[in-house]
Amino acid sequence: MKFSLPIFDVKNLYFIVDDQEILRNVSFEIFAQDYIAIIGPNGGGKTTLIRILLGLEKETKGEVRIFGKKIKDFKEWHKIGYVPQRASHVDASFPATTQDVVKMGRTSKRKLFSKESQEDKLRVEDAMRKMDVYHLKDKMIGTLSGGQRQRVMCARALASRPEILILDEPNTGVDVSSQQRFYELLRELNKKEKITIVFITHDIGVIADDIARLFTINQKAVICNNPKEALSCEDMSDLYGIDAHLIHNHKHEH
Amino acid sequence: MLEIFEYEFMQRAFLAGMIIATLASISGTFVVLRRYSMISETLAHSALVGVAVGLVAGFNPLWMAVIIAILSAWLIEYLRYSFSLYSDAVLAIFLSGSLAIAVIIVSLGGAFNNSLFSYLFGSILAVSDADLITIFIFGIVCLSVLLIFAKEFYFIAYDEEVAKTSGIRVRLLSFLLVTIVAIIIALSIRVVGSLLIGALMVIPTVSALQYRQGFAKTLFISLFFAIFSVASGMTLSFYMSLPSGATIVLSILVIFIISLVANKR
Ligand SMILES: Nc1ncnc2c1ncn2[C@@H]1O[C@H](COP(=O)(O)OP(=O)(O)OP(=O)(O)O)[C@@H](O)[C@H]1O
Ligand SMILES: [Mg+2]
Repeated sequence: MKFSLPIFDVKNLYFIVDDQEILRNVSFEIFAQDYIAIIGPNGGGKTTLIRILLGLEKETKGEVRIFGKKIKDFKEWHKIGYVPQRASHVDASFPATTQDVVKMGRTSKRKLFSKESQEDKLRVEDAMRKMDVYHLKDKMIGTLSGGQRQRVMCARALASRPEILILDEPNTGVDVSSQQRFYELLRELNKKEKITIVFITHDIGVIADDIARLFTINQKAVICNNPKEALSCEDMSDLYGIDAHLIHNHKHEH
Repeated sequence: MLEIFEYEFMQRAFLAGMIIATLASISGTFVVLRRYSMISETLAHSALVGVAVGLVAGFNPLWMAVIIAILSAWLIEYLRYSFSLYSDAVLAIFLSGSLAIAVIIVSLGGAFNNSLFSYLFGSILAVSDADLITIFIFGIVCLSVLLIFAKEFYFIAYDEEVAKTSGIRVRLLSFLLVTIVAIIIALSIRVVGSLLIGALMVIPTVSALQYRQGFAKTLFISLFFAIFSVASGMTLSFYMSLPSGATIVLSILVIFIISLVANKR
């Protein structure tokens, strides 16, 4: 029965601010081991949508369930890893090494009064190795490059051993070859570790060959379960506001 | 033994000073990293209202300072969250408001005297046995809370929203931290004085940050600076008959300038 219960179940979701519909009647389900890309124009509501999923913003109407529970009743937040948009823009003088940041991922898992356990140590090291930042473990976070910092943020999210990883534009300002490698890492986590992955991106070209499902968000949502067909579907081009063939061609350049 | 320790009042003052240095620097680290340094300055002025009430009404000023500081801390947090007011504006209102109220109470009660002066700028002569016991008991409680929740406070300072989505009770812990800070500040006014305690909370951490180290080391450096400056400040206060708060802040300022220059890029 493992697949009967979706991780996220969103029904008729609205988010309205000052009479302006930011999200209109959005419904979808996210299942275990999904690999989902969310695309859409700037200001389309992608970040808002995942902030609602994470309980950081309250929906105006509609229903959101996480692992079958309403957000306010949900307690097992360690099952969800989140890397926010612009997470890599940390204050340069914040006193944290790579290791310090990744350890934060274990904070909510520890019991009160308990010190760092052997498991904590192993998980932190494992997360750093998976994201290929282990060699940077004693470096100050403020001295790392944008791409390195982004991988550290992902390692922090991984350290709590989440079942789902949600990333908001993890690759802004990262060069193309690093991006490629980053998506390979994500895909590996998805296939080998069975971690559900949801990420927002603007670089469909980099990932188009590989994503399992594609959500296009521009106020409304269009869910495509077969992205290869979806990239040419009319609905989506309407939402994205550009000619779908452009996206399609862009994909073939890579 | 050194001459300075032959006096019992100096032994008390030193003990109280060490406890306060420890508490102020550790809690100060979290406060500074959350970019909330002004809270310490503001609560120090609120504590003064407690002192004023204590002096005029004949209650223990230290206890009154603790109570009033905690109440203001809660009120400030409540206003910040419930009315989404600008934090620094709320703090400014509380800072001058508290001072005004304290001055009025003291003037009406006719308690403008040397004793008040010592609460403003600290005094090594002022620490009684009862004070020392109060500082010790509250100190243990505050230190325990700080150490138990150090990781949570650190995570919240780093990224409040991510901390929240990892299941950390951010609001509850923020309330807890300001409560602890309120208590520590109230305890400190004997030795450091309410006009100067803000410096002891903030400057050791800011100095430690100049060395660009990880969390544990930064905390440790800050603690070392605080203890060193309290010890040297008190010694100076003893030999030169100056208010201890002023000499302590002067020492920490010297450390700050050295740290700044030594780490200049
Ligand atoms: N709490 C809020 N109050 C007012 N407006 C909001 C709020 N949250 C989101 N919005 C608005 O909703 C719109 C969608 O914002 P959102 O950040 O979700 O877009 P996005 O798709 O993530 O864009 P980008 O690609 O630029 O990151 C924006 O116009 C934003 O101003
Ligand atoms: Mg966004």
